[in-house]
Amino acid sequence: MPESTIEYLPLKQLHDAASSTATSPIETRHWTPVEVDPVTLQVIGGAMNTAASEMAQLLFRMAYSSIMRESQDIGAGILDRYARQLCESDSTPMHCGSLPAYVRGIEQKHAGDYNEGDVILHNHPYFGASHSPDYGVIVPIFADGCHVGFAGCTGHMVDIGAAHPGWSVDVPDLFAEGKLINAAKLYDAGELNRPLWDHILENVRTPEANAGDIEAMIACCRLGANRFTELIGRYGIDVVMSACEQWLDYSEKRLRTEIAKLPDGEYRAPRGWLEDDGKNFGTPLPIETRVIVDGDDILVDLTGSTPQTETGFNCPFEGSVLPTVNFAVRTLLLDEAGDGAGIPQNDGIFRPIKVYAPEGCIYNPVFPAGCEARFAQINRLPDQILQAFAGLIPDRVTAGNSASVGAIAYSGVPEDGNYWVLVEVNEGSYGGRWQKDGIDAIDNLMANTRNNPIEEMEMSAPLRCERYELRDRPPAAGRWRGGLGAARRWRFLKPTMISTTGDHRAGDKPCGLDGGQDGYPGSLVVNAGSPGEKSLPAKVSGFRLNEGDTLEISGICGAGYGAAADRDPDAVAADLRNGLIDHAGAEQSYGVVVRNGAIDGAATGKKRRELKSAPKA
Amino acid sequence: MWVNQYPILQDIERLYHLGIDIGGTFTDFVFRNEATGEEVIHKLPSTRDDPSRAGLAGIQHLCSQAGISVDQISRVLHGTTVATNIMLERNGAKVGLITTEGFRDILHIARKKRPLNFSNYQDIPWQSSPLVERHLRLTVPERIVPPDGAVEVALDEKAVRKALSELAEQKVDAVAVCFLFSFLNPEHELAVRRIAAEVLPDTFVTCSHEVTPLHREYERFSTTALNAYVGPATARYLQRFDDAIAEGGVGGGLRLMTSAGGLVSSKAAKQKPVSLLFSGPVGALIKGMDIGRAAGKPDVITLDVGGTSADIGVAPNGRLMHRHILDTRIGDYDAMMPMVDLTTIGAGGGSIASVDEAGMFTVGPRSAGASPGPACFGFGGTEATVTDALVATGWYRTETFARSGNEIDRKLAGQAILQNVAEPLGISLPEAALGIYQIASRNMADAIRLGSITKGYDTRDFSLIAFGGAGASFTAEIARELSIAQVIVPPHPGVGAAAGLLATDIRYEQMSSLWNDLAVLPSTELREKAASLAEQASAELSEDGFAAADTEIVYRLDCRYVGQGYELTIDVPGNFDADDWRDTVAENFHAAHERQYLRRFSDKQIQVINIRVIGIGHVPIPQSLPTLASGSDKPVAEQTCMFASDEGWGSFPTPFYDRHSLKPGTVIEGPVILEQIDTTTIVPPGFTMLVDELGNVVIKSGKPDA
Repeated sequence: MPESTIEYLPLKQLHDAASSTATSPIETRHWTPVEVDPVTLQVIGGAMNTAASEMAQLLFRMAYSSIMRESQDIGAGILDRYARQLCESDSTPMHCGSLPAYVRGIEQKHAGDYNEGDVILHNHPYFGASHSPDYGVIVPIFADGCHVGFAGCTGHMVDIGAAHPGWSVDVPDLFAEGKLINAAKLYDAGELNRPLWDHILENVRTPEANAGDIEAMIACCRLGANRFTELIGRYGIDVVMSACEQWLDYSEKRLRTEIAKLPDGEYRAPRGWLEDDGKNFGTPLPIETRVIVDGDDILVDLTGSTPQTETGFNCPFEGSVLPTVNFAVRTLLLDEAGDGAGIPQNDGIFRPIKVYAPEGCIYNPVFPAGCEARFAQINRLPDQILQAFAGLIPDRVTAGNSASVGAIAYSGVPEDGNYWVLVEVNEGSYGGRWQKDGIDAIDNLMANTRNNPIEEMEMSAPLRCERYELRDRPPAAGRWRGGLGAARRWRFLKPTMISTTGDHRAGDKPCGLDGGQDGYPGSLVVNAGSPGEKSLPAKVSGFRLNEGDTLEISGICGAGYGAAADRDPDAVAADLRNGLIDHAGAEQSYGVVVRNGAIDGAATGKKRRELKSAPKA
Repeated sequence: MWVNQYPILQDIERLYHLGIDIGGTFTDFVFRNEATGEEVIHKLPSTRDDPSRAGLAGIQHLCSQAGISVDQISRVLHGTTVATNIMLERNGAKVGLITTEGFRDILHIARKKRPLNFSNYQDIPWQSSPLVERHLRLTVPERIVPPDGAVEVALDEKAVRKALSELAEQKVDAVAVCFLFSFLNPEHELAVRRIAAEVLPDTFVTCSHEVTPLHREYERFSTTALNAYVGPATARYLQRFDDAIAEGGVGGGLRLMTSAGGLVSSKAAKQKPVSLLFSGPVGALIKGMDIGRAAGKPDVITLDVGGTSADIGVAPNGRLMHRHILDTRIGDYDAMMPMVDLTTIGAGGGSIASVDEAGMFTVGPRSAGASPGPACFGFGGTEATVTDALVATGWYRTETFARSGNEIDRKLAGQAILQNVAEPLGISLPEAALGIYQIASRNMADAIRLGSITKGYDTRDFSLIAFGGAGASFTAEIARELSIAQVIVPPHPGVGAAAGLLATDIRYEQMSSLWNDLAVLPSTELREKAASLAEQASAELSEDGFAAADTEIVYRLDCRYVGQGYELTIDVPGNFDADDWRDTVAENFHAAHERQYLRRFSDKQIQVINIRVIGIGHVPIPQSLPTLASGSDKPVAEQTCMFASDEGWGSFPTPFYDRHSLKPGTVIEGPVILEQIDTTTIVPPGFTMLVDELGNVVIKSGKPDA
């Protein structure tokens, strides 16, 4: 579709059609707003952040599945009864800011019908869940008999009874991607619904892990609820809620100040391409991103992106797309390593940010389209937004990132019939940054999980790791080089099934910035180097590996920033010394000549002049 | 028969024990006559180029004061920040690493999680500032595999020789040997050590299975690399100290406080300097436990506040708690070592108060440090610090500071607070000063909350014990915030860490991996491992001169429910001889899980991951002597101070006392301020203080008992 044929909504209509994670301004309050002195404000802000942090710490430590306790693929926080996020744990960005959508989802069933002691379980992606494997546990909070808010957490279940262990991309609809739980009261007024509990666990492959994880999530929410009621007991509802509202306003003000510094206008990223939908291999799908700065509001318009797919490769709008855009804007304008330190991620951050994706596109699918596998395309959004702003704020953006994901669910059925399922999120890498190289082999953008220790994986599953290192190839060249992806090779000691989700970025590589080199795609190769070598697409559903097979996983490498011939020669020499590039690469890409470990200044000067005068390819 | 290399308990001639805590600014000494319980304290400026110099000078000074010869000292107990400072200043060794082929970048990839979520521009410390550079990380063919440590790929010794020669050429100062699964079978790491002794005879070599024989390769490798990084310099320092005290004729040997809260011989410390990373702050917590025990209140929280940071320790029921494995690190570098559960936060006298562009009032973590320092010191600082607030309220008196040679200017403090806080917020100076104080106090209270209440402990049962130059200025306020029953300010809070050394047992911890289900773990295997570890621990204690009667062996297991990833360390009785040992282990684990996570799963299988055997050499702790009051017990001054009140703030006529003039039994209702050379104790309105028989000041909320 040529760009000229995209029909964009006019700005006014776009404002009306776009959505935000923030709750609309509330009209009536169940408390009396009061002035809160600056000290009490700090105290309550600190207590809320501490509560969210405690919730997450409990969850990491107590959880069962490796995806929750090693990868830490979870989120936790406290919301008021209007679904305004008051605080959230500093865990995985994808989970940050999805809680309000979960609460709105359960409100559709239970608004006004909460009891003390309720525990509500939810994973329905058309009612706010991030995607079906991300269970949410929500506990309504009561103070003096009055419903004042919710403690909630989300966590990725290792298996939810999909067509294949872990997950499946190639499924016809939502119902094939796992069991749905739509705002089910697991506990009603403190009473466990045992048949429901049994039913949930009897329909998954990993009942022990899921049971342990859900128990941990319940404990996490109860802790959060206790903390909030303690705070109210101490300071009173008026002071606590007034302070919380001030904190929301504070975060909002800080973000709006930064947005207002940007010139009004429309900023477009180059069209991006997704490899395929996990079924129709070889058919790439276009995505379009334009960002509009309008005063102190930001609108992200995804019009023109590919229609929803026939597989599970779609993105839940409320639970995934909105949190991603919130993340992208906040990270770009309020970087925690700089001015953004200490600004809480709450409802206030969401207020200036709106997103529009037309119904029926990949970023706003219509029920009952499957939408389990959403990370590869969702993680392109922050990268697209960075590209859109590259010309405007070059010292805040990055060159093209891996901006994908490489998640693999490994599984097998031993003699005793009890499934093992392990989920591993493979690392990406960052593009070069203004005055900094890209980060190597690390989770990128919306992903921020941890790897599983090899010594943990091999002890708990019939796997053998043969390699886990940086990739054997030069990083994408640039004044600030791109980050290198990781290489990992597994050998399977027993027949093993894998399902994967991701995008190798082979057709649309991470985009070099300001003369920097493009990044490199990733790959999955079975039995590399043997006669039966076979490359896999990034998305396979239920692929079978035999005993003795190997799987080599190569992570995507981020792009370079700036012309390589401008790179600090000492940094080039360090890359050479550290085996990231060779002498030929140092000379040909960077124009740096190193002899006997020392930079040859004269030869380097000459070589660099040649490089700079050479016609651009 | 043992020849006691370090006679400790048997030798009655040597009655004197000495604790030395060497910090960045001061070197503190506590010297005790074990027969009489008499204690002498001393403070000297630290000698940073060679910290042992101030150490030795202090020893000689104290001995001449006491009229004894230095060889009458039986034990020199030492807490040191030398390893910590190497990490802070990043001036450690050039380290080479030998690791399994295919795994060169474990230290570079780490757990592949970014420290910050909302940041594209953060630095990743282990990549931007690595402990071992990539060209010094060399791989050799070898592979040990689970579950039983079988050799799948034999070690290529030729490749090892080649790699070590390369490191020798690169002139590394230390070599870390890190192979996968070495905790199941150390033979390959030991072979590298053997070859290294030939190829690099004078180089510090450390093997991962010796540093920490536990699973999780990144954490183990990182700990080993840290050991290599701080190793050579720390070992040299300890050797110099050893030599200096030997030359000075000091009797006995040097013992070091570890991060785990026990003392080890300097020989053991030289092999595992990574165990000294938190050697400094542990002493104060142990002293706090000692004070709590003596006062009949064994649940203690200690707060040690200095210029730039505050160390918080929690010891429920008088027991040291150790950190969860998720939290054992120094800065951003993982160190999988037993560590006392101490939290350090960036809150101290130098913490800066500010109001940002959106009107938010914060205190810290930025600090004015020693230079320019707080505005009131007049060294050119213009920002408002916590110390300025303490001066502006009237609590810190110019005259008192002048006596210890420090000039403070109340006007400069007020100006800084007015400009940076009061005016931007549109509030008065007293409100702003008290606000800074309250926010700083509550930052510390939040850290205490995370370290205690999170773990299931109710702070209302605890005593809060003040240490450091500034702890006693905050403790009452924090006690109010956390509903802590009482505050204790010991007679000499400024030398808490050094005093703690004298109250610390000798402690050797040995561990080994088990990795089996509790239901099927063979009793014989467990008993054999336990016995062999216990034997090692006993041998170390007996080498230290402990009679068997003065030692104790503690057994612990790291357990989890099958499927969980993190273990809880539980105490288990004895040596697993009883028939029902499995039931006991199971019940202890269920109970620990319930306390920490609010739930128990009685029908779930338990997995036993590691066994830890701790050999403890008990040091007799004589009852502290009551501190004798001296001088007049009348106020040394009375002036108007500001305190928070229900109406925001108020002016209160406040008496100031010389703390050491107050006799046991003295009761004074707040507001009152106690001055002494090393700290100022603030007793706000609404609190009452009393001097107990041991000379501690005990502060409780409310009016004096009728």
